[in-house]
Amino acid sequence: MKWETFDALLFDVLDEYEAAVRDGANDEEAKIRCAALLAVHRDDLPYPNVNVVFDGVPYTELLAKMMLDATSPDPEYDVLLVDDPWVPQLAGIGALVDLKGPEVSAITDEGYDWADFNAAPLAAGEWQGVQYAVPVRSNMLLRFYNRTLYEQAGLPEPTPAQTWDEFFSDAEKLVRDTDGDGKDDVWAIDTYFVREPLTPTIWQSILNANGGSLLDDSGVPAFANEIGAKSLETHKRMLDYAPPGALGHGFSESLQAFRQGLVANMFNWGSVYKSTAVDPKSTTLTVDEVGIQVLPVGDVQAGAHRGIWIAGISSKTDELNASWAFLQWLTSKEGESINASLVGSFPARKSTLSGEPAEPWLGPVYETLQNAYEVAGEGHMWRIRSPKSDAAQQILADEIARGLAGQASPDEALGVAAKKIERALK
Amino acid sequence: MEPGKPSGNGSVRVARERQLGDLLVRWSFMAPAIVLLLVLLAYPIFYTIDISFSRFDIATFGAGAWVGWDNYREVMSDYRFWESLKVTMIYLAFALPIQVVVGFGIAYLINAEWAGRGIIRALFIIPMVVAPVVAGGMWRMILDPLWGLMNYWLGFIGIGPLDWFGDPNLAMAAVIIIDTWRWTPFIVLIATAAMLALPKDVFEAARIDGCNWWSTLWSVAVPLLVPVIAATFVIRWLGAVKMFDIVLAATYGGPGKATNVVNLFIYEEAFRSLRFAESAAMAVIVLILTMVLTGLFLRASRKLEELF
Repeated sequence: MKWETFDALLFDVLDEYEAAVRDGANDEEAKIRCAALLAVHRDDLPYPNVNVVFDGVPYTELLAKMMLDATSPDPEYDVLLVDDPWVPQLAGIGALVDLKGPEVSAITDEGYDWADFNAAPLAAGEWQGVQYAVPVRSNMLLRFYNRTLYEQAGLPEPTPAQTWDEFFSDAEKLVRDTDGDGKDDVWAIDTYFVREPLTPTIWQSILNANGGSLLDDSGVPAFANEIGAKSLETHKRMLDYAPPGALGHGFSESLQAFRQGLVANMFNWGSVYKSTAVDPKSTTLTVDEVGIQVLPVGDVQAGAHRGIWIAGISSKTDELNASWAFLQWLTSKEGESINASLVGSFPARKSTLSGEPAEPWLGPVYETLQNAYEVAGEGHMWRIRSPKSDAAQQILADEIARGLAGQASPDEALGVAAKKIERALK
Repeated sequence: MEPGKPSGNGSVRVARERQLGDLLVRWSFMAPAIVLLLVLLAYPIFYTIDISFSRFDIATFGAGAWVGWDNYREVMSDYRFWESLKVTMIYLAFALPIQVVVGFGIAYLINAEWAGRGIIRALFIIPMVVAPVVAGGMWRMILDPLWGLMNYWLGFIGIGPLDWFGDPNLAMAAVIIIDTWRWTPFIVLIATAAMLALPKDVFEAARIDGCNWWSTLWSVAVPLLVPVIAATFVIRWLGAVKMFDIVLAATYGGPGKATNVVNLFIYEEAFRSLRFAESAAMAVIVLILTMVLTGLFLRASRKLEELF
């Protein structure tokens, strides 16, 4: 099974994690159950009367499992952890509570500051004017680079202003034979190329940076054009500077290659920073070696892609008070800081990002994250938001994979994808 | 009427009672199996058929409005479905003959009496008991062009490096290699049992007649084994046609669509795209195709049995 968007660090604490927070309404113990991946440590929590049980679910099964659970007469889960594009689907079947509605507002702490959230991550939990979920793990697609490999190649450190042309110019020099055996053993880039739903996010970030978009204002696919094809060519061109077998690489393989110092750049989810640069148990690199910034600049702007994990409350829960007390704490400034320092989850609050970071390494990371929120907001860099978004994403995965593998030209692959997505979204 | 003998009517009644009793006993033995089959097999099949003719209602997770053949038309017009069927057929066309030939070949070679034969047979079972997802993941590591052992070993004989998961043909070869590694031992076990059951006097006669190793194999052993080979092929076909987990773990259906077998495609459409109705229609089509082909193979198998 693939666990693509979860951090390796998180797996250690996922199996069955218990935390304690206060039942907002009374002091009796309440037990709530949460589908998937929030990780907090019970010693760090001030509220002892809510027992939270976390179930780890593989990413690819998570949405189907949550929908199946939510539609059952007696759902198992009180809190649902939701990936960025899933809110419309869950909202569509009435699975989530309106967090700004009167029922929840009545039990919301006075100090809970909605306005402090950055707009981009908060928007991930909103659908048709209703706030169904709050950001608990604000991931962004970012560029990691290895300073040592740039230095050894005699190249200056890249900046957020670097263009794709400059990136490829550097890439020529970054592919090297370091031990003199006649074979290259260090490469310029690794990222998602494999046939899976997150691979199109790389192409899409290039598309958005080039001024293109997935859908037009009327919701019709708008990517089967010159900009779309050029962006897919750029994605495919990266394979020329990637390690052997990169066409089969995704989250885990690219992460492994980067952590082992085999590739100079990696486009991956920002929340892997801790396990990539900080934790010696999982990486050969150090904080000083690993730079982080937005993806290279296209025709219009830099690239990024929003991948916010948001949490909502099941509309059929018997433990509304306990569930909301837990989520309020987890998304408070205090909860965000603990979650960030323990497992490297990124915060969504402006005050957390601009405040004193809990760990020194978080400083530059927060700066990049704030920049990425702005870049993503400008370029509308997120997946299709629709009750059929997963169907559309799977179609993109199939066609982008064909394009990358050379089994279809970029024009053909994107043309087929556009027609199919238009039908799927109807 | 002779005393002690039942009348004509009486004997008919007794015979009927016996017949009825016999029938009841037979059905009582079959009843648990029938109930299990209805619950575990018939219900899911009818549920799938029901969904395939409906709009899937995600709120109730069941069949909604009746849409007739719409889902089937949608599926039939999707090139990805046909491509996945083609990929499945390519995989089956290579994997099945290779496994049957290699399986019977190994069985023939290890059929001679030698010390430790039992241990080797027991070891053969190991790949079969490894979970397919584990096998797929393990072989993904072995074949990985960057970190894998296979390219390292092949390098010693001047081959490669091979891009097992980047080249469409090699990716299909990788799936066939993994599946063959898993299932050839099963065929070896069947073949070994079949060979042990062959009449020894025929081989003795062949030896006296001066047959060499090859003519004994080709003119004696193979004709005697043809019914078993045919039956093994059908059993393996029924297993292989379900191919899904190894591909999911090893190649994710890629590169591009090169190893996207039909079951993986159905799974992805259902559980990733949440297009359950269209997936149900595909599942029904695949079920029918499998039944037809299985029927043909069984018929051919019987013909071969008659011939040999």
